[in-house]
Amino acid sequence: MNKAFGQNKWASYLVLSFWALLALLPLWMLLSISLKGEQELTRFPLSIPNVWRFGNYTQAWKDAHLGVAFWNSLLITGCSLLAIIVIGAMAAYPLARFANRLTNGVYTLFVAGMVLPFQLAIIPLYKIIKAMHLMNSPISAILIYTTSHLAFTIFIYTGFMKSVPRELDEAALIDGCGPFRTFWQIIFPLMKPATSTVAIMNSLFIWNDLLVPLLFLQGRSSQTIPLAIFSFVGDYNNNWPLMFAAIVISSVPLIALFVFAQKHFVKGITAGAVKS
Amino acid sequence: MIAYKRIKTVIAYTSFLLPALLLYIVFVVYPVGSSFYYSLTNWDGINPIVHFIGFDNFKRLFQDTEVISALKTSMIYVFFVALLQNVIALLLAVSADRRIRLKTLYRSVIFIPALLSSLSIGYIWSYIYQPTTGVLNIILKGIGLQALAHDWLGSPKYALGSVIFVTVWQYIGPSMLIYLAGLQGVPTSLYEAADIDGTSGWGKFVHITFPLIAPSLTINLVLSAIGGLKMFDLIFVMTGGGPGYATEVLSLAIYKKAFMQSSMGYGAAIAVVLSLIILLITLAQLFFLRKREVEL
Repeated sequence: MNKAFGQNKWASYLVLSFWALLALLPLWMLLSISLKGEQELTRFPLSIPNVWRFGNYTQAWKDAHLGVAFWNSLLITGCSLLAIIVIGAMAAYPLARFANRLTNGVYTLFVAGMVLPFQLAIIPLYKIIKAMHLMNSPISAILIYTTSHLAFTIFIYTGFMKSVPRELDEAALIDGCGPFRTFWQIIFPLMKPATSTVAIMNSLFIWNDLLVPLLFLQGRSSQTIPLAIFSFVGDYNNNWPLMFAAIVISSVPLIALFVFAQKHFVKGITAGAVKS
Repeated sequence: MIAYKRIKTVIAYTSFLLPALLLYIVFVVYPVGSSFYYSLTNWDGINPIVHFIGFDNFKRLFQDTEVISALKTSMIYVFFVALLQNVIALLLAVSADRRIRLKTLYRSVIFIPALLSSLSIGYIWSYIYQPTTGVLNIILKGIGLQALAHDWLGSPKYALGSVIFVTVWQYIGPSMLIYLAGLQGVPTSLYEAADIDGTSGWGKFVHITFPLIAPSLTINLVLSAIGGLKMFDLIFVMTGGGPGYATEVLSLAIYKKAFMQSSMGYGAAIAVVLSLIILLITLAQLFFLRKREVEL
C-alpha cells in the first residue's frame, strides 16, 4: 500500500481506536443502564449490571406505548418509502431521457427543494393538513415525508438513469413494449443501486424524525417511536433505565438493517454524496 | 399516424412526471411560496383573518435580541460543527484508508451513532453530561481532573460547545465514509511518483491527496453546513435552546415563535431568513470549492 503517510500504521490504529472507543462508550452505557434498576444507577454508570433486569424492556414497551408507536413508525416509514420510490423513480425517467427546456426547468425546481429547509414549508403545511382534516392521521406524515423527500429522490434517480443506455428503451419499444412496461420491467430493475441509496437515506431520516410527528401526530394512538419516547420522558421524569430501554428498542430495526446490509449502506451513502 | 404515436408517447411520459409534480407543487412549492406571503402578515395560526403588514416582521426581527442571538448561535454552531466534523472525519478516513486489521469493524462502530435518532442521542448525552451523576464528570474526577468538571449543559458557557460536540460525534460516520470513497479514488501511482521525488508524507498529503479529494470535501462541507443550519431535534431534546438563549438556534426560534407563541407570520419571517442564509452559504461553498476541484 502506498499512501501519503507511508507505514505509520500504529498512528492509524491509535486514531481509529480512540474514536471507536468514543463511539462505543456511550452506547455501552446505554445498554448497561437499560438493564439496571434505578437504585443501581448511583454506582458507576459504565459497570456491568448486578442483576440483568430484562423486565425494564417489557415495562418500557408497555409504559411508553411502544407497541402502537412501533406499528405507526413501520406503517409511516414503509408507505412513505414505497410512495417515494414509485413516484420519484417514475418522474426521473422522462427527466433523464428528454432534455429540453421544460424538463430542465422541472428538474431545477425539484433540485432547489434539496437546499431549502423544511422549516420554510412547515407553517403553511400545518394549515393545509388542518384544512384537509388529516391532523393526527398517519396519512399526514406519509404525505409530508413523501413530498419533502421527492427532491433528493428524483435527484439521485435522474443522475443514475442517465448512465443507463438509451438503446435499452429503444430495443424494448421496437419489441412492442409500451413506456410503462419498458420502465418497470427493464429500466427500474437496473436501478437497484439508486433504489438502495434512496431507501436507506430516506428510512434513516423518516424512522428517526421527531419534528413532523411533534407537529402533526400528537394523539397517543398516532405517535411514532421518537414521539412516544419524547412524551414518555415528559410523563416519567427521568426514569433513565426505562428511557434507555425504550431507546434501545427503537434503535434495533435500523441497527439490524445496517448489520445485514452493511455493504449497501456504505455504497448508498457514498453514492448519494458523490453523485451530487 | 406518426403524429398520433408521438402524442401518445408524450401523454405517457407526462403521466410519469405528473404525480410527482402535482404532489410537489401542492406540498412543497405552494407552502414555500405562502411562507413568503405569511412572513408579510401577522397571522397567529388560528384566526382566519390575516392582515398584511409589509416588512414589519423583518424590521422587528432585526431588533429582536432573541432572534439576533439565535442568528449568532446558529452561525457559531454551524461553523464549528462543519470544521470539527470535517477535520476529524478526514483524519479518520486517512487512517482507515490502508491495509489495516479490523478496518470494517472500525468503520461500522464509528458509523453506529448515525443510525440512532437525534432524540436518542440527545438523551444519552444528557445523561453523560449531568453535573453530579454524569459519566463525563465522574471520569474527570476519577482521573484527578476535578477542575475540568462542569455543568456541561446547564451553564451558558459550556452548553453550546457540548451540543456541538454531540452533533459531530453523531455524524462523523457518514462524513468519514464519503472521504474514504474519495481517498480510494486517488491512484497509488501518484504516490509512487512522489516517492521517487523524495516528497515527505505531509507533502504528499497536501499536494496529492487533498487536491484530489476536493469533491468529497465540497460535498461534506455543504452537507454539514445545511445539516447544521437545519438541526432541530438534538438541540430541542438536550437543552430546549437554553440555558437562557445559549443554545437557541434559528430552527428552534422558528418553532418557538410559530408554534408555541402562535406568531406564525413572525415565525415564517425567521424561516425566510434562515432559508436565505442556507442558500447563500451553499452557493458560496459550491462556488469557491468547485473552483479548486481538479480533474484527473
